[in-house]
Amino acid sequence: MIRLEKVSYSYPDGTPALEDINLAIREGEFVAIIGKNGSGKSTLALHLNGLLKPQKGKVIMKGMDTHDSFKLPDIRRVVGIVFQNPETQFVGRTVEEDLAFGLENLCLPPAEIRRRVDTILAETGLGKYRYRSPKTLSGGQRQYMALAGVLVMEPECLVFDEVTSMLDPNSGATILERIRKLQGEGKTIVYVTHNLEELYAVDRIIVMEKGKIMLEGSPKSVFSDPLLQKLGLSLPSLLELATRLKTCGVTVPWEKIASPHSFAEEICRLFLKT
Amino acid sequence: MSVILENVSFSYSRKTPLETPALKEINLRIKKGEFVGILGEKGAGKSTLLKLFNGLLIPDTGTVRVDSLNPSSKEARHRVGMVFQQPADQLFCRTIYDEIAFGPLNFGYSRKETKERVLEALEAVSLDQSMLYKNPFRLSGGEMQRVALASALALRPDYLILDEPITGLDPVGKREILETLKKVNNMGTAVIAVTHNLKGFFPLLQKIVLMKEGKIAFQGSREDYLKTGCDSLPPIASIMRELKAKGLPVNPAVFTVEDALEEILRVKSIIESDREKYIRQW
Repeated sequence: MIRLEKVSYSYPDGTPALEDINLAIREGEFVAIIGKNGSGKSTLALHLNGLLKPQKGKVIMKGMDTHDSFKLPDIRRVVGIVFQNPETQFVGRTVEEDLAFGLENLCLPPAEIRRRVDTILAETGLGKYRYRSPKTLSGGQRQYMALAGVLVMEPECLVFDEVTSMLDPNSGATILERIRKLQGEGKTIVYVTHNLEELYAVDRIIVMEKGKIMLEGSPKSVFSDPLLQKLGLSLPSLLELATRLKTCGVTVPWEKIASPHSFAEEICRLFLKT
Repeated sequence: MSVILENVSFSYSRKTPLETPALKEINLRIKKGEFVGILGEKGAGKSTLLKLFNGLLIPDTGTVRVDSLNPSSKEARHRVGMVFQQPADQLFCRTIYDEIAFGPLNFGYSRKETKERVLEALEAVSLDQSMLYKNPFRLSGGEMQRVALASALALRPDYLILDEPITGLDPVGKREILETLKKVNNMGTAVIAVTHNLKGFFPLLQKIVLMKEGKIAFQGSREDYLKTGCDSLPPIASIMRELKAKGLPVNPAVFTVEDALEEILRVKSIIESDREKYIRQW
């Protein structure tokens, strides 16, 4: 689906942001990108729909090269990005108009635009704010709206840049669930985050540092790699607890670590089994 | 010495068709020196509440007092420092020095005194002096957050108000900001932070205010919060609560990995001494 070949990029002031990145993401895969501030995660995300173009190497999206300006509209139909600061992507006067903006640009028939906007408003619970200006929404509501603005376009690949960071844990979990559902529908997901607690169930984690990919693999292999902590990324707390318990003879298996609920169930089972 | 809110209500776009109530009948008292976490779902009124503390918003009904002063007064604004959700929103000078010096100069401190305060604030947020003449807009998210924090600290506020101060920072950046806040709090400044990051903040909080649909759903100590039915908990505390609900004799007021480990092992040995009883309960 997505292929990055020897991609390098430096910012105008000369700071290198990406160095020689090679990466292939399969259709329907859920890939998480983690790393410290300034490690190049967001820069990488911006390359995926041609908002930034590599200075060396190329980015191929479904066979289309982002260097080819004629292909950009098609690429952007395939890839939707939800940004870190939702304000950066609002254009409409009301929530409803904002959601319809992208669809109008695709020249869809009005009835279809209405149908999609109504569906997404109902699904995200933003219906009651439909006539409000996006500016009057709270930080978390704006984040939801930014997400809705991309979902409504129904792209095949969705890129999320720290979308849950401004949300309370419950809303964050709801968004994550929604994203998992999208993957279930066959969408490709690229998920940039700092919150390692969210990453038990992704297909692959990519760890970046200073513009390079330092570590790559399944959550299990990445989380158990000592390099992760050397890079200043701390383990999710449930995993840390499970690791410490294991050294004391209480083994909670990997698949039970994903949620506090399954973790507690497993502890009970271990302690009380006959 | 405290910030007091009495029967405060606030609506956005008041007396227009778009009127949106944001806060309803809020009563809250925050003493100097406290470390308070304001929690709640999106749209619960957390950020609105913060803006009342320093007079950025004026309540429709009820009163807000900062050490018995009107929060919009110059004297009160000197005592309340604020750091916004997006640090870039509050930075506007060309150098970090000018940025941090802006507050003190505005309040009429001499250049000498201002410089002292800038250096002190810079040290408090662990930024190096070599950074002083850099452009704040060229900084990373974590550094920008620290500059925003330093400019609030340069006024040596009695109350430091922060809206999601560690959002978007990596684990190292988060730790640094949390350590700074702890240090500032130890020196007697009240820290009032809206946060979703319970894992990082929980160990520091002395008081928790949980907002729900514009009202205060809970206010009290961290221990009481963990015992009540609130569903927004750090992951470790969630496990402990589930274990308690399943009839295991655990202390639900545990939220760090260290304490949880100790607690689970303690419970293990208790169960081993009386398995039959707990199996029946389970």
